[in-house]
Amino acid sequence: MVIGLSSGSVDKLVGTGVIMSGAAADDMDVEVYVLLTAARAFIKGNEDLTDSLVEYPHLKSEFFANMEKLAVPTWLEFFEQAKEFTDVKIYICSLAGKLWGGEKKEDFIDIVDGLCGIGQYIDAAKEADIHINI
Amino acid sequence: MNEQELKALEVNKSVDARGTACPGPLLEAKKAIGTIKSGDIMEVLSADEGTRVDIPKWCTKQGHEYLGTVEESGFFKIYMKKN
Repeated sequence: MVIGLSSGSVDKLVGTGVIMSGAAADDMDVEVYVLLTAARAFIKGNEDLTDSLVEYPHLKSEFFANMEKLAVPTWLEFFEQAKEFTDVKIYICSLAGKLWGGEKKEDFIDIVDGLCGIGQYIDAAKEADIHINI
Repeated sequence: MNEQELKALEVNKSVDARGTACPGPLLEAKKAIGTIKSGDIMEVLSADEGTRVDIPKWCTKQGHEYLGTVEESGFFKIYMKKN
């Protein structure tokens, strides 16, 4: 499975984590290509930011309250969990990284496997059985 | 298997995933099934409606045998046999 993740909105990050978990339960290999605004969340120190719920800002407090009530893991916990279960690779688009001040792998949180160019994403999407764009 | 047969099963592993929402029970099931032997019976307790559909399908995909589901008060028990 290949996921192109462009949104840095917390609900989209959580949604991506849920999909990755489902794929992990099926032993599917997953590659996540982190593009544009999504890269901001992967910069070291940004992983706990909750300032972004872009599409539905008026639902933000309800979203977080219900997440807590239902004991839903954070987006990062979902990503880490998926990595424990299956082969998950996370690549940051080099342009997206630069947009938020990340130029090297060390600038990003530990779950990131490396930086990539858009060509790598296109090739992976072309080869994948399932390609999801978020 | 019918409900009576399922309730009479001797379970080797019980996973209580009632505290988690989808996909928590599925991942807990996956984790737990790695700890039991082939032929062992496992039950998963869940209150998540999505899980009721997901775990039987997951069993089949993973080559395990889905035995059935028993409805309890506010939750259900899903039974499977590891292959």
